[in-house]
Amino acid sequence: MSDEDAPSGTTLVQHIGPEGVYEAPADLGPEGILLPGELHHHPDPYQYVLIAVFLCAVTAVEVLLYYADGTIATWALVTLLLALAFTKFVTVAAYYMHLKTDAKVFRRFFILGGVGALVLFTIVLTTLHIFSN
Amino acid sequence: MEQVAISAGHDTAQHSGTGVSNTKLAIWLFLSSDFLFFGAFISAFLLYADRTPAGAKQLTDELNIPFTSATSFILLMSSLTMVLALAAIQRGDHRRVRIWILATALFGAVFIGGQVFEFTEFVRNGYALQTSTQSSAFFVLTGLHGAHVTIGIIWLLSLWGLSSQGRLKTEDAPKVELAGLYWHFVDVIWIVIFTVIYLITPLTQGTK
Amino acid sequence: MTTVSDAISHVEQPHQRVDLLHRPTKSTGFWSWFTTVDHKKIGILYVVTAFVFLLVGGIEALLIRLQLAGPNGKVLTAAMYNQLFTMHGTTMVFLMGMPLAVGFGNYLLPLMIGARDVAFPRLNMFGYWAFLMGGLFVYSSFLPWNGGAPNAGWFGYTPLSSAPIGNGFLPGHGADFWAVGLVMLGIGSTTSAINFIVTVLNMRAPGMTFLRMPVFVWMMLVTAFLTLFALPVVTAALIMVYMDRNWGSNFFNSAIGGDPLLYQHLFWIFGHPEVYILILPGMGIISEILPVFSRKPLFGYTVVIFSGIAIGFMGWGVWAHHMFATGLGPIAVSAFGLSTMLIAVPTGVKIFNWLGTVWGGAIRLNTPMLFALGFIAMFTIGGLSGVLHSVVPADTQQTDTYFVVAHFHYVLFGGTVFAFFGGLFYWFPKVYGRMMNDRLGKWTFWVLLVGFNLTFFPMHILGLEGQPRRTYRYGSGLGWDTYNRIASLGAFVIAIGVLLLLVNMVVSRKHGQPAGADPWDGRTLEWSIPSPPPEFNFAEVPEVEARDDWWHRKYTEDDRGLLVRLPSGAAEAVGHGDAEAGHHIHLPSPSYYPLVLSIGLPILGYAAVYHTLWLGIIGAIVLTFGAYAWAIEPPTAEEPA
Repeated sequence: MSDEDAPSGTTLVQHIGPEGVYEAPADLGPEGILLPGELHHHPDPYQYVLIAVFLCAVTAVEVLLYYADGTIATWALVTLLLALAFTKFVTVAAYYMHLKTDAKVFRRFFILGGVGALVLFTIVLTTLHIFSN
Repeated sequence: MEQVAISAGHDTAQHSGTGVSNTKLAIWLFLSSDFLFFGAFISAFLLYADRTPAGAKQLTDELNIPFTSATSFILLMSSLTMVLALAAIQRGDHRRVRIWILATALFGAVFIGGQVFEFTEFVRNGYALQTSTQSSAFFVLTGLHGAHVTIGIIWLLSLWGLSSQGRLKTEDAPKVELAGLYWHFVDVIWIVIFTVIYLITPLTQGTK
Repeated sequence: MTTVSDAISHVEQPHQRVDLLHRPTKSTGFWSWFTTVDHKKIGILYVVTAFVFLLVGGIEALLIRLQLAGPNGKVLTAAMYNQLFTMHGTTMVFLMGMPLAVGFGNYLLPLMIGARDVAFPRLNMFGYWAFLMGGLFVYSSFLPWNGGAPNAGWFGYTPLSSAPIGNGFLPGHGADFWAVGLVMLGIGSTTSAINFIVTVLNMRAPGMTFLRMPVFVWMMLVTAFLTLFALPVVTAALIMVYMDRNWGSNFFNSAIGGDPLLYQHLFWIFGHPEVYILILPGMGIISEILPVFSRKPLFGYTVVIFSGIAIGFMGWGVWAHHMFATGLGPIAVSAFGLSTMLIAVPTGVKIFNWLGTVWGGAIRLNTPMLFALGFIAMFTIGGLSGVLHSVVPADTQQTDTYFVVAHFHYVLFGGTVFAFFGGLFYWFPKVYGRMMNDRLGKWTFWVLLVGFNLTFFPMHILGLEGQPRRTYRYGSGLGWDTYNRIASLGAFVIAIGVLLLLVNMVVSRKHGQPAGADPWDGRTLEWSIPSPPPEFNFAEVPEVEARDDWWHRKYTEDDRGLLVRLPSGAAEAVGHGDAEAGHHIHLPSPSYYPLVLSIGLPILGYAAVYHTLWLGIIGAIVLTFGAYAWAIEPPTAEEPA
């Protein structure tokens, strides 16, 4: 069940003993120890900083858009803002929370909860007529 | 909350499992469920965003976007310092671990401080929990988020304390990862709150 | 039977050098029940405590039925009645139904998947303490100085429940105890759910693939997911109620635009998955009992499992059928009416599969089987009245009448409770090494069946004749007298049945006929180890080769498809390995901290209800200390050097 979660050409590094107990490897290796469920090629600190710069840039765009009210139609602004927020969300989840490089099961649970919440509460708000009138 | 260290002697058989650690699986399950918790409060806010009695203060009148943009930026940066702390402990660089964890906690504390300042300003201007349905939803939502951040700060400071005593070893990296996952989640929720409540709501109300 | 425990003379429990408190070491004795992390002990704690709450909730029901036995009842005042029906519902749902399932799950899940314990033993114990503390906290509202028990219904609709004390509709702090108490219980349930999911995903024995797991394990897995995702929603709703009541927020203040329907949506998004949380474990139990007592494998194992999963998913899409009479509008009610009709499909599929299991089997009508067959019949009736509810115009008449009361008691009592009673008789020999008295058990079943139907069947008619729910008395001349009298009589017949069950359990513990490891000729792994099981469950972790692995180690089939018993050596192979090989089995060590942490909960609870800051600070300190000490305590006490 584990190898199919690894992208081709890499192996899922487990260090997981029987019954899900993490066992730290003896030597650190060039990238340091790997975390349970982590594949090779997790981002290095430099990449983390780059991602942070990206996140700041997106936030800056969001704030600029907020002040662009009047020059762009509201529905376009709202759509753009939601898209930008979603981009930040996915970026943090994928890179800082390692969902991109970890075993797929984590991603699946996260998406289940996130999408589930989104769908359920959209239905609730629709039923309460927030999107009409 | 450690996983069970059960060993059955020389058990060489391949265990059936997902191949991922118990604690990591557990925290992801918890975080997935927390979406529903915050979703309920965000929905309540969206429902009540337009419902303010005549004459009462509106959120959009009180918001200070530059200020909140700054505090949001700080929280976002705290995610960076958090993941740098994780990278440090994986390399065994324990001095850096303490620096980055402390930085994360500090940024978190600044964020909370900013929220406290922001909210006292609101209350002083007449926008309080009891003012309207909108204000109730706003304060409870952001208050619960702040409570999550505060718990995270305490968690991080505990890790910092353990590290200072030499009790957070390199093989304890998964513990830092767990704290990190929680912290990033709290940041992600703020990303949603900031965009939806602070930026979008005033735009849709046309009262910016 | 005891060879393995003889060979392994004791389980390692060495001394622990601990920073703060001397770690407890005993795994036997009275005090060990407070510090144990053994899933079996925790399971017993859950079941016993849930049974006590069953009795309490039952007494509340008897009082209700006494009041309603005749017109213009004078047994209870309206205020008392409101508290009793609220507490009856709250108790049966949160303090009996859910914990009973968790208790069974706790005891059985590791045994059924070939594990030695759950993934997080201390968290497991914490879940129990949170349950006990939450239950005691809610019940403490009955104490005179606390002003009365919750009285706004087990569902706590707003604004009745959320209007602030003093200028509200309800006297006393009851609704605060309810809201805060349920949050406490929710915390416990959530930790249990996470524990079960991780256990099932990660701790199965080698060869125990998902499609070889017992159906009960599958149903507990689905239930755990439902619990995990449903509880946060109701927690949010309860916080909103609490804030409205205590701190002047306006979530449900209709005067300035608060929407009571927001509460109903949030509550029922939780509430509907909740009823599947209550029924799926019972369905799992039935799926274990029927094959054993028909000596046939479960008919359509895969289909039964996928139906359970389908019910779990679809259960999220039907919640507003509890709100058909609230003016949602034709589109919403049509959509939810349709989804409610559809969910009958996987449910029906399961019923047909159970019937298919029994059909053509060599049936043994012992007590567990009687309860299982009773379940099928009673649950089907309850399901039929449920389908009637899905027809929106019909439901508009049925809502808030006794027709609904009949429906949910058929599925929850005739369904869930019957399943658990069957499970009690079935697994009692495993837990205590003694059989319950089967003859008395059969009497118990028939008494309960008769009493149950006497009580609840007339309610279908009473409902259609217009008797409303949640009203403390009815006038004479409405034509309701006779059926109400019959229902009240039936309630006391139920009480006799429950008493018989209680006597059976208590007496059989010490004087029941001794049972071996496998008194029922079972199919699943728990029957392969001694009764009661040793602390470490399996001496050797079993290697699973098939579904119903234990059965296949005992039997094979000849050319004509008839069962042939294999030589007993093969049957003993599971779990009885080379015991002299000197394996050390390190079990997780007992701990104080789950209990310590859980004590913080009611402290915070009282602080929340009475707005006492210093008490709140103490509670927070207890929680923080408990959590920190727990986190730095290793799961297993270290061995001496």
